[in-house]
Amino acid sequence: MKISRRNFLKGSATTLFLAGFNFPVLANTDKKKNLVVIMLRGGMDGLCAVPIIDDKNFEKKRKDLILDETIKLNSDFALHPKLKNFHNLWQNNLGAIVHATNIPYTKRSHFDGQNLMETGGHIPYSIKTGWLGRGMELAELKGDGLALALPMPLLLRGIPSNDNFYPSKKRLPRTELLQLLKSVYTDKSEHDLANMMEIIANRSMMNNGGTSMSRKNSSLAYKAGLELKKINGPRVAVFEVDGFDTHAAQGGVNGSHSDSLIEMDSIFKSLEKGLGPEIENTLVLTLTEFGRTIKQNGGRGTEHGYGSAIFMAGGLIKKSQVYTDWPGLKRKELFEGRDLNSTIDSRSVYASAMSTVFDIDFKRIQKEVFWGDKLQNLSEKLFKS
Amino acid sequence: MKNFYRKVAFGLGPDEKVSSDPLEWAKNQLNDIPEFSWKGKILPEKELRNYYRDYVYGDRKVLRKKFKNDKDGYKREKNKLRHETGQKFWWNLELCIRYSEALKSETPVLAKLWYFWGNHFAISEKDFLAQYTTGAYQREIIRANMSQNFEKMAQEATIGWSMIHHLDNDQNVGPKSQEAKWAKEKGKTKGVNENHARELLELHTVSPDCGYTQEDVIQMAYIMSGWRPEWGKKRLETGDVHFNPDAHEPGTKIVLGKKYKRGRKSLSVAITDLVNHPSCRKFIAMKLCRYLITDNPTNEMMEPIIKAWEKSDGFLPEVHKAAIEVAFNYSDKYNKFQNPENWLLQMSKMADVDLIPSPAFMDLYKLGNKPIRDQRALEYLMDELGQHPYLAKQPNGWSDISEDWMSPELLIRRLVYAREAYYRKSGKSQTPEFYEEMIEKNYDNSGEILKILNQHRELVHKHVILFNLPETLKS
Repeated sequence: MKISRRNFLKGSATTLFLAGFNFPVLANTDKKKNLVVIMLRGGMDGLCAVPIIDDKNFEKKRKDLILDETIKLNSDFALHPKLKNFHNLWQNNLGAIVHATNIPYTKRSHFDGQNLMETGGHIPYSIKTGWLGRGMELAELKGDGLALALPMPLLLRGIPSNDNFYPSKKRLPRTELLQLLKSVYTDKSEHDLANMMEIIANRSMMNNGGTSMSRKNSSLAYKAGLELKKINGPRVAVFEVDGFDTHAAQGGVNGSHSDSLIEMDSIFKSLEKGLGPEIENTLVLTLTEFGRTIKQNGGRGTEHGYGSAIFMAGGLIKKSQVYTDWPGLKRKELFEGRDLNSTIDSRSVYASAMSTVFDIDFKRIQKEVFWGDKLQNLSEKLFKS
Repeated sequence: MKNFYRKVAFGLGPDEKVSSDPLEWAKNQLNDIPEFSWKGKILPEKELRNYYRDYVYGDRKVLRKKFKNDKDGYKREKNKLRHETGQKFWWNLELCIRYSEALKSETPVLAKLWYFWGNHFAISEKDFLAQYTTGAYQREIIRANMSQNFEKMAQEATIGWSMIHHLDNDQNVGPKSQEAKWAKEKGKTKGVNENHARELLELHTVSPDCGYTQEDVIQMAYIMSGWRPEWGKKRLETGDVHFNPDAHEPGTKIVLGKKYKRGRKSLSVAITDLVNHPSCRKFIAMKLCRYLITDNPTNEMMEPIIKAWEKSDGFLPEVHKAAIEVAFNYSDKYNKFQNPENWLLQMSKMADVDLIPSPAFMDLYKLGNKPIRDQRALEYLMDELGQHPYLAKQPNGWSDISEDWMSPELLIRRLVYAREAYYRKSGKSQTPEFYEEMIEKNYDNSGEILKILNQHRELVHKHVILFNLPETLKS
């Protein structure tokens, strides 16, 4: 392990210095840019997905979970060997990672944590909208959200008329009937219902040539890629991958954590396939509620932890890199003596991403989406303007 | 007022009359736990767990070894094993039992609360619990205790085999226990698994509102260490839950400021303290109001339920009656967006949809065979509607928040399956007169509704519209 905190700070000073200059930026506003968020539920183990190389503390604490044949990314970090599609993106400068990052939540409950990763807030269940929904509202992207999930995730709430797609095999009732219901909803001031009925009536994806569609994430991602590619299609898509809560039998390369990572990896691949060249104008990010303990538990699994990692993909990332302010894994460097610390508020990454994709000033997002919380503008370091 | 029948139950079916005292009608259903109205086979949890055992043992210990180098042979034999142990059948039978309580029993109010408690002490999607034992757990531990104190339900659910397995307490070993020492001698580490302890506090009893800390969670996990299925070479993880002192953390533990001595009894003593904590009754009262009345219950709504709890020491029939009375008092003021399962049952009851296969038909099933499609209809349907009751995504169960159920895709399912349901009705309920009478009986604004429906000629369309009107979606 060669990385240290001091190294990082030295490296970033240049960027900080340059950031003071106001370079003229030719914003390419006529391009339709897309943002995709993949929610990794259950607590994604950043140290399993992107392990640190040659760290004795790590190897000691995880005897049975150390992966063989990892893919080396740089001198400090490796990649889980099953993340082949992501690695492919990485090699083409289309994949990057932010490490030792998390939302500012340290209590280790899935439900509170997942609520906060979606709302972006501090007190569980106190905010009823998602940070992505609020960002879209700010960017006036009504009707531009697509969830590949059932039901609608909290993350997208805050702006009306989002769509979700998780195909049913049956035919919709005739249009007159849908119109009648819509007018009844409107008459009764049921605006949410009326909005939904409007989306349903206009639905193109349902009539998929009569063939039934799979609900696998890989297949949904292909479909989503095709929709995002359309100039009048959605601009935001949200996926969910479950199963990261591996308290037992987390295993090595073929363990249960790998299964969920592979599912995430399949989304990258299918999105790329569906998007075609538009992958260049797309940014994909992952989101999880917390990482996992460094130490393996009695059942060869891991417990709920704190710091994790974010996977990023697409042409809007600046370059292939593991961006981190690495806190170290010695006991005193760990959060509460047990977890990888989080040195980057992951909301800084999400705010910067929205600023880049939605072409909105970072400060406005910071203020109106995240209540003026202290966040770093990472746009220049992580993304193309 | 008529929506009260839909709020606390599933509306009124064709043979039921509007009661002169709806509140009494509802409360009278809550005193005892009657026999199941399902007249077909009902298997004990233990027997179903044995099928689970046969499946995991057969797969893990026999087939994986035998077909180490033959992927296709393995696949084929595993499918056979699935059918030999009824993996595709039992949960469909459980759904028949479950829905008969809503549609065919004299106690639909009890059924609606049964679903609440099953979801409160949820067994979410994990391994093959849903296919074999979750339904039985909900019958034997949840429903059977609805005439008891909350404490008894909490005690039994906590050490129920399903819950222990679901929340990994079989992995929870005290780090200073004998077993951890033995493991250390072999160069292995065994330690605490907090999962179950955390959910016991957070989801089942006091909720984060009571202000417990991470240390409380760990201490609670120490108290719970050692509670796990009795391991056997043939039983694997499906043995009865017992207390294994070798895996129990020694020493005194402190949870929420209270001390607990080491040993078997400490868990039950700790649960007694948790259920008697003021945060627990407040949390349950809030959840009941949220389920029955509104996403954002007020203190005024919760108060009578908390009082009833305090007066009766958490005696569930009294708690339930108080909740139903609050729902009655707020019946006209608040409408609650119904989750897919409750919506389906409402439609089935009011419109006389033939939802549940007959007991005779289900009992035709023979172990070893693949169940026929119609025997699996309920499993498919619930999945399509987006709420299979045994497949909640997380230990906090299915959401009680309206917005979580409002999305285009979910609304599409209601449109599509309302139509499907119409064709599963008997001819005598496919008449305009039937609908007029049913609407008159179940809605306060029947005139207005009939006017809307009359814009469409065909009865099937009227049916689809009716069950997607705001008046139906929200009760």
